[in-house]
Amino acid sequence: MSTPEIIFDEVSKFYGEVLGVSKVTLRIPPGTTSLVGPNGSGKTTLMNLMAGLIHPDRGSVSMRGLSPRDPARLMRVTGYATQYDSAPRGTTGFDFVATSLILAGHPKSVAERKASEALERVSLSSAAHRKVAAYSKGMRQRVRLAQAIANDPEILILDEPLNGLDPLVRAETIALFREFAARGRHVILSSHVLQEVDVISDQVILIANGMIVAEGQVKNVREEMHDHPSQYLIRCHNASQVASLLFEMEHITQVQMHEDRGGLLVMTRNRAEFSKALTRISLSGHTVEKVVAADDNVDALYEYLIGGGR
Amino acid sequence: MQELSQIWTIARLQLSRVFFSKRSFWVYGLALFPSLIFFGHGVEVKYRRANAISHKSDPAALDAIRQGDTPEEVLKAAGTPARDQTFSFNRRVRSKIGKGGVKIEEKREEVQSRYMQYFDGNREFSLNFEGGFLQSKNIRNIINFDEDRRIYAGVFQFFYLRLAIFFGCLGIFMNLFRGEMLDKTLHFWFLVPARREVLLLGKYVAGLIASVTIFGLGAALCYAMMLWPQDPAAASAFWQEQGASNMFWYAATAALGCVGYGSVFLAAGLLLRNPIIPAITISLWEGINGILPSAIQKLSVLYYVQSLSPVPPPMDENAPVLIRLLFSPADPPSTLVAVAGLLALTAFVLWAASRAVKKLEINYGTE
Repeated sequence: MSTPEIIFDEVSKFYGEVLGVSKVTLRIPPGTTSLVGPNGSGKTTLMNLMAGLIHPDRGSVSMRGLSPRDPARLMRVTGYATQYDSAPRGTTGFDFVATSLILAGHPKSVAERKASEALERVSLSSAAHRKVAAYSKGMRQRVRLAQAIANDPEILILDEPLNGLDPLVRAETIALFREFAARGRHVILSSHVLQEVDVISDQVILIANGMIVAEGQVKNVREEMHDHPSQYLIRCHNASQVASLLFEMEHITQVQMHEDRGGLLVMTRNRAEFSKALTRISLSGHTVEKVVAADDNVDALYEYLIGGGR
Repeated sequence: MQELSQIWTIARLQLSRVFFSKRSFWVYGLALFPSLIFFGHGVEVKYRRANAISHKSDPAALDAIRQGDTPEEVLKAAGTPARDQTFSFNRRVRSKIGKGGVKIEEKREEVQSRYMQYFDGNREFSLNFEGGFLQSKNIRNIINFDEDRRIYAGVFQFFYLRLAIFFGCLGIFMNLFRGEMLDKTLHFWFLVPARREVLLLGKYVAGLIASVTIFGLGAALCYAMMLWPQDPAAASAFWQEQGASNMFWYAATAALGCVGYGSVFLAAGLLLRNPIIPAITISLWEGINGILPSAIQKLSVLYYVQSLSPVPPPMDENAPVLIRLLFSPADPPSTLVAVAGLLALTAFVLWAASRAVKKLEINYGTE
């Protein structure tokens, strides 16, 4: 594969007169990428465009060099767990996963072995031979995930994959994504649980009203947002003195003392200058125990760029 | 080779859906309805034949009965009837009264009537007496093989081809894509590493296996039901001579009807969500095809399949030309041309459908 990137080039998609996504241009490198945005923002549209379930009205999509209009090649290296159940009526979890593998061209014995392995990875072995229709919401989520990973895809697309999972399975699933990403593969997922997105993602794509609001590593995106002061939590001795020193600096917009008077919440318009200032303060004899970025996460980005309504 | 394997795998996985879909279970009713009718006819014939054997009268004596004979004369000549019913009814009698008959008076008078039924083994005699004299004598064969074959030809042409197979294929083939869109399961197939054309052909093969099985066997079963009550010797002779061949061609015609209509409704299911629109449009197109110019007639499935039916449908010689044309093409193609033409038409429709399926998008509603 010559281009190990997912590329959207000026992609627009309309559903009749309703906007799906507009002029989306993206280059997604391997790793875990989270699509974050409110309902109806265009997350599933982007995923469906990647998988070729819908086609762009304008622009083009390239999936690691493959066209979504060529499912025979693309779907050999792609697994997509959609938000809809797709198991044919009456099938068991095992049959559902094995059938996908048989359709992918594997001999029956190989398909069955891979299906067993995939179901084991999502902790569904004990219920493998029960009908999907009798599964709980979490089990359905897991069987869809098993189907998506069964063929060991290079691109894994997951629509709200953590919905309905209990904490233990959730942790196992996140570990699974990390393992895929660590092997140089693409893991694209959408999620509403921003704390988890923070933990899972190498990069995020924030989308609202069909348009990309921000993309990249969370830290880098935050740094690019000059109109929102960065927030830092500082634990230090003599907090009041440190606060007065910080107040003298132009780039500091606000300083709040913690209730225990052992720390500060500082807002600055210039991260680099703030870093230098902290060094100077430390060298002048004040003990700074800990400095943590308070809004260097997806939750904060979401609030700043998209606002409420999650 | 791999694509053929994928087509077969897809078809195999779709079989349970096409055979047991709740949405198209009524298709079995359509396919089996004529068989049920012929079965009922067979049971009735068997009953009447058993009755005829147990109440057999002298054929010559029955033939000799004339209008005006009294019940006593008939009983003396033909013996005890299979049925003998006496009843009375009121009849309205109109008579003109007054000078020049200017006024009409209506009276009711009671009429004594009697009905007798005789059998001579093969024929049923119905004798109606009024006022003590024979008024009418109706004779009909207990079973008429020629007539039954003509009725079967009519049922096959007018019901089976034009209604049962047409709507059956609509029910089976339109659901292959539209039904999965409604169930929100179509993406399972679109996420398979197979070309969309392969998916289309896989689903078509599944629909074809189901429809050919249901309607091919339905036509053959109906034919068997038609033969069942016939005289065994006559039926055996007919079977040797042309019965087997006719049955094969009826089943083959039904199968080819499924081939043609299946492709049409598969394509329609890709383009339209509402089955009523293609049902009405294609039904009208097929219906008026007989009166269209010859070149356009060739764009109809019915044009080819109705020519393959081994026995022409019964048609009243006095029927208007337009009606005759609607039910039978003026210039029917030969068997070879009909089969080749139908397959060519099917290939064209499937090619058009493959173009449509490549553009088809999953849209169950906005996210």
